Amino acid sequence: MKKFSFLLLDTGPIIKLFELGIWDDFIKRCDVTISRTVAEQAKWASQDLEDIRIGLDTYEKTIDLERSVVTRFHDKFDPLYKNEIHVGEKETLAFLHNSSEPWIVCSADKAVFRVLGLLGRGEQGISLEELTDKIGLQIGISWAKVNPRDADLWKFTKKFREKYTRLGQIDRIQGQGLV
Amino acid sequence: MDIGNRLEKARKAIGYTQEKVFELTGIGISSLSAFENSEREPKISHLSKLAEAYKKNIEFFLTDEPIIEDLMLWRDEPDTNEEKKKTEAEFRQLCEQYHRLEMITDEVKSVNLPYLDVKTQDFEYSHANRLAEKVQKDFLLGDIPSMSLKQTLEEKYYVKIFHLPFNGSAISIFSQDFGPAILLNKSNKQWRRNFDLAHELFHLLTWNIFRTPDSENDKPSEHEEKLANVFASRLLLPTDFVKAKVESSTNEKGQISFEALDEIAREFGVSLEALFWRLPYLFNNISAKTIESCISKTKEINVSRPPRKSDDPDELPERYCSLAIRALNEGRLSLIQFAKYMRIGYKKAQEYLTEDEEFTDEKVFISVARYWADYKAL
Repeated sequence: MKKFSFLLLDTGPIIKLFELGIWDDFIKRCDVTISRTVAEQAKWASQDLEDIRIGLDTYEKTIDLERSVVTRFHDKFDPLYKNEIHVGEKETLAFLHNSSEPWIVCSADKAVFRVLGLLGRGEQGISLEELTDKIGLQIGISWAKVNPRDADLWKFTKKFREKYTRLGQIDRIQGQGLV
Repeated sequence: MDIGNRLEKARKAIGYTQEKVFELTGIGISSLSAFENSEREPKISHLSKLAEAYKKNIEFFLTDEPIIEDLMLWRDEPDTNEEKKKTEAEFRQLCEQYHRLEMITDEVKSVNLPYLDVKTQDFEYSHANRLAEKVQKDFLLGDIPSMSLKQTLEEKYYVKIFHLPFNGSAISIFSQDFGPAILLNKSNKQWRRNFDLAHELFHLLTWNIFRTPDSENDKPSEHEEKLANVFASRLLLPTDFVKAKVESSTNEKGQISFEALDEIAREFGVSLEALFWRLPYLFNNISAKTIESCISKTKEINVSRPPRKSDDPDELPERYCSLAIRALNEGRLSLIQFAKYMRIGYKKAQEYLTEDEEFTDEKVFISVARYWADYKAL
């Protein structure tokens, strides 16, 4: 089976995949790249999640950009947008933005999708719902029944991604966010 | 300023040696030297670790803008320089985060604190008293100022007030970048914190009087510290109200018991010692010597009252938290960033995620239209 390639993963989906115990299954189907800082973030975030061990210390497909690359990306934004995303996400987005390959980032973060919308790269964002559907991975979640009050799952839905991508797109149309 | 200089400055600002940084981050001393001497460009993973260790936001290392070095004024600073610098770094980081939250939620407010037009060399106790009277009146602090001072400073004048446990009493800063801010010691008793807050407020109000560009020493002089105490005392213990309270509690010989004074001190949210020192200003016949003797006596005798209860203040101001929650839910702050700003774990941070009515069926609202129509009809 051909692997889903050019996939960047953000903290939220990483934690969810480990929580569901399907990380190994997932990486058999996807060629996943992770920012080293995102991997550190995931490790930090999992500290207060019982029974979840994020084992990415030896994961090899990582990116670790030089400061100047991220700075160039950082400088594209006005101060309002500069501060809103954590460095791991910033690095992931800088990598995606600079590459000529068709990278896609799977996130569960409003701010990440919003930035993608702002950059006119909304189609390079994907939710975990869409991704697992695409690779045919059954994870035992009935996405149609997930509603916004379900804070744990809602952020992994297609509707969530679409909403925040649209907000970024509106900012772009209104000329806000970029210098 | 290049990244090498920034890294070196940030390390020195928190008082760490390169060896200490190696211990904290695992980044080798030779790599660190190469980064600081601009011989090698650091990776983002290095900067992320260093930002964490130096208590800096990563943006500090992603910009070339000049570094603003604002002075911090200490009340009872710790014995070691390392401890002092660490507390300052933590406080500065919180203030910068607060300012970022204001920026991304479009809530940056201009601060218009009361001002007294007096030259440094002319500033006397009478001016400190006058300033306290002005603050009490302008801030609408009422009979018991300690009850509303903090809230008024935060909500009406947008002073950033944090509480952290540290060695020392309080710190104040009037930054060009993020405005006025005060750090209080979370471990101190409430009445002590009230006095520290009022004391630090004096420094903020007189910042431009005592911290002029040509002033030789930025540290407050002994005289300035005394002025701040006079101001705090006058502000928290308003003349007329305190005098009336004391007079109503005296016996036929014009004496007042320690218990009665303790009761008054509790009511005004100050320590018994602070109230003692206010008495000579209210009653001319009491000397400083008498006060000193009273204070030492209170330490010897058992006052037959239950111990005073103090509160446990939140480290982060309410407005800071509200802005962070708003930024998170508007998609202006990432979840991890939110967790770090709020000093909570990832799991807890997720609980703050909410959606607006676009995705919910139930709408909660209060109709004011009918009342508005009734009002207009009047």
